[in-house]
Amino acid sequence: MKHLSLAALAAMGALASPALADADLRIFISSQHQPDVWRQVLDRFEQATPGVSVEIETGGNTSEAQAQYLNTLMSAQDPSLDVMILDVVRPAQFAAAGWTLPIEDVDMAQYLPAYAEANTVNGKVVALPAFADAMFLYYRTDLLEKHGVAVPTTWDELREAAKTILAAEGDDSLQGLSFQGKPIEGTVCTFLLPYWSLGENLVEDGALTLDEPAAIASMQLWKSFAEDGTSKPNISEVATDDTRKEFQAGDAVFAVNWSYAWAQAQSDESAVKGNVGVARLPAMEGGQQASCLGGWEWGVSAYSEHPAEATALVKYLSSPDVAEFMAVNGALLPAFPQVYEDAEVLAAAPWFADAKQVVETARARPVTPRYAEVSEVIRTTLNAVLAGVSTPEEGVAAIQSRLARVLR
Amino acid sequence: MADSPIFGLLSGRPLRLIVAAILLINGLFPALWILLTSLKTDAELTRTPITWLPHAPTLSNYATAFSDQPLHLFLFNSFMVALLSTVLTLFVSVLAAYAIARLNLRYRGVILSAIVAVSTFPLVTLLVPLFETMRALSLLNTWAALILPYAVLSLPVCTLILVSFFETIPRDLENAAMIDGCTRIGALFRIVVPLAAPGVFTAGILAFVNAWDEFLLALSFNSSPQLRTLPVGIQMYQGEFTFPWPVISAALIVGIVPVAILIVIFQERVVAGLTTGGVKG
Amino acid sequence: MTAPHNPRFAWLTDPGDRGLAIMLLAPLALLVTLIVVYPVLRLFYTSLFDHSLTSGLPPRFVGLQNFGLMLDDPTFWTTLKNTLLITLVTVPGALIMGLAMALMANMPFKYHWPVRLSLLIPWALPLAFAGLIFAWFFHSEYGVVNDILRRFGFQPVIWFNSPGWSMTAICLTVIWKTSSFMALILLAGLQTIPRSLYEAADVDGAGKLRQFWEITLPLLRPAIAVALIFRTITALQTFDIPYTMTAGGPGGSTATLAMYIHQNTVSFLDLGYGSALAVVMFLLSMLVTVLYLRMIRARG
Repeated sequence: MKHLSLAALAAMGALASPALADADLRIFISSQHQPDVWRQVLDRFEQATPGVSVEIETGGNTSEAQAQYLNTLMSAQDPSLDVMILDVVRPAQFAAAGWTLPIEDVDMAQYLPAYAEANTVNGKVVALPAFADAMFLYYRTDLLEKHGVAVPTTWDELREAAKTILAAEGDDSLQGLSFQGKPIEGTVCTFLLPYWSLGENLVEDGALTLDEPAAIASMQLWKSFAEDGTSKPNISEVATDDTRKEFQAGDAVFAVNWSYAWAQAQSDESAVKGNVGVARLPAMEGGQQASCLGGWEWGVSAYSEHPAEATALVKYLSSPDVAEFMAVNGALLPAFPQVYEDAEVLAAAPWFADAKQVVETARARPVTPRYAEVSEVIRTTLNAVLAGVSTPEEGVAAIQSRLARVLR
Repeated sequence: MADSPIFGLLSGRPLRLIVAAILLINGLFPALWILLTSLKTDAELTRTPITWLPHAPTLSNYATAFSDQPLHLFLFNSFMVALLSTVLTLFVSVLAAYAIARLNLRYRGVILSAIVAVSTFPLVTLLVPLFETMRALSLLNTWAALILPYAVLSLPVCTLILVSFFETIPRDLENAAMIDGCTRIGALFRIVVPLAAPGVFTAGILAFVNAWDEFLLALSFNSSPQLRTLPVGIQMYQGEFTFPWPVISAALIVGIVPVAILIVIFQERVVAGLTTGGVKG
Repeated sequence: MTAPHNPRFAWLTDPGDRGLAIMLLAPLALLVTLIVVYPVLRLFYTSLFDHSLTSGLPPRFVGLQNFGLMLDDPTFWTTLKNTLLITLVTVPGALIMGLAMALMANMPFKYHWPVRLSLLIPWALPLAFAGLIFAWFFHSEYGVVNDILRRFGFQPVIWFNSPGWSMTAICLTVIWKTSSFMALILLAGLQTIPRSLYEAADVDGAGKLRQFWEITLPLLRPAIAVALIFRTITALQTFDIPYTMTAGGPGGSTATLAMYIHQNTVSFLDLGYGSALAVVMFLLSMLVTVLYLRMIRARG
């Protein structure tokens, strides 16, 4: 805690150069992002800036629910919130709608490049990173070791590895790979992972650049996992936390998941404690390994009645010191590359050493104001393919025609 | 046909018990299942094949339900919002129903149709315009933001029930009261409303449950944690990725029990009220 | 007693019929105007604009263009079809279930309250609760429905993996949730039928089944009509249950029109198009109401 105080206070002094007026700020933090730990950070801010108080509002515990709430609030131009936390896919939309204020005088080069990109729209900084996240390949170190299988780097290797282990274990409740197929945000990443690994982009400069063969290959890959027994047949109803539970219960050799699953898989309640490994997600044959970028950002509401104070708060919250504090006390991945090498961070979360490379090479989902529609189209289509409602070819044709309308 | 074996049995005690069992299972099994779930640990929940009775029953989920979120506040808010909107809707619909039932209104048909039409408008479509209205009135994050729309939600059905109740009350009683020096409005509240008490009561229960159920507006208008109602509060146990079923089940049970108690106390009057009232619509 | 002497305020204490009617109806009119009429007018107005908050452009008047877009929008047709399907299945379903439950509950039980409680609990359970509870019921691995199927030797079903089974699960849930209110209204109706009619029929030697067709059903008609109006309109607005159970999946095959409206306004922020969809739903609901009112009036 001590490192938070001195350096941060010094930084605050610099940030707060246009003298801050007295203000009661209200900050929106989703309830899953440890508001109690953020509270400690906010207490520090309040101490450093006499006259400014910050109240936390929690809510909207899923990314979708939270977006719906903020959308309603912002479209009514409600001034009750000054600062809000946003899923990494949303700043572009909020900026286009004019709901966040641009933030000036920030060196975006200090952040991991993907976050600099996700928070910059038309050359303007529209939000600042709160913390990073990415999708990882979780695997069972004990099972891989026991059967002499290497950590796969391609999806085909993963399929073979799963086959070998499942055959040798002969355990009916064990599955090879758990991933998300329910029509939720995570399923967008499911689709993009193999697609990206083939070197393709979905959106460039706001225009659709769908490569149909790569998209079909991606859908076929996931469908084949459900069909050949690598994954469960009910994969179209699996959401993110189902994957976490299955892996934690010892029912999956491999799992695709965000960083939050690590702490739980290594907890005392976990059946696989001490046998958990994380690695970069595999690639398609001949492709490049790619991960999906997650994380959350701080935006300043355009309807805030205290924009200067709110901006100062956001700059403070998005500083290396706070990132370090949140890494140590909240196990949140930092958006600053150097914090991953911090001794105190590594002592608290040694696995961050492995995580850095994954986060660094993770790719951002399309940055577009109409992301909500892009997401909806992709996840319902992949879900339909996994449920056998449509074929991969039909699915990709549907994505092409629907996204062409959205991104016209 | 006259006394086919099946229908003959309908009067028998064994069949009555079977029928009662069917009704009870249909109505109560889901709640019972949630009760059982609330007593299980997270680990037991994801065991296959699933267990019916909890192996090691625990009340810890209830403790978590109250400590994770201000569940007592959710209950209080739900109760107060439902109660106050019921009072408002009853007051407004008693007045309107009296006018429709007693006065020879020229546009009676039009007014009745308009009231039915109000009930047809999908709430989901009103979300954004209503939000703007509430903001303009500075009512966001107050009970009133929910009380007003909930009162309107139940106005049509309450008014219709009360109209048919008032029509069963002889005018002579009112006239007698007015001869004794009561004004018409005085007669309404002193004579007509007490006589129509079962109908008022039934309408009140309907309004209360309608308000108790509502989710979408509560989610959007009252975002502050201190003002959340139960259906919204229940969602707060769910994390971005996590879905703690045993804790959610415990919270659900806490939400179901008070209403179940109310129902056991008042069930006779709900059905009796509907008997005289609503069905004649 | 002073007021009546002042002619200006006389109408306050002893108004004529017209003045009284206005006074009595004013609170209702005020509330309805604020909460329904004004927002509805806003909605109709917005439906004529290209008003998307994500475009960053001001609203632009486009006439009926949003309604034209709808004709070419496959999602609109799918959600409309799903909504009508849910309505056509769950309204008769809830009526039959509700009638059966009402007839059963009307039997001479020694203790009434357990039966009444079992009728009233599903009704008093918030829709959002019901959706959550039944999503858990139908879970392919941990759900009690598949457990029961397994115990009886049937193949478990992966409910939310296929459009047909998902729709089945949703319809069953909606019927369960709504049949209890149906049963309540019908039970109330049953209790207004004088017992003497049945006694007379017994004397005439009419069987129970004939009594049902010739006494119960005709006398129950007004109750059925009221129940059907409310049920049909709420069925057209189905939102909470599919929203919490399937979120419209798999592949959008269980998304309803209400969900699509909500999605367009709240997630996509396409207020113009969302409003146009809402107008369509409004007209649909009005149409149903008018048809029912006609039917009731025609039958006297």
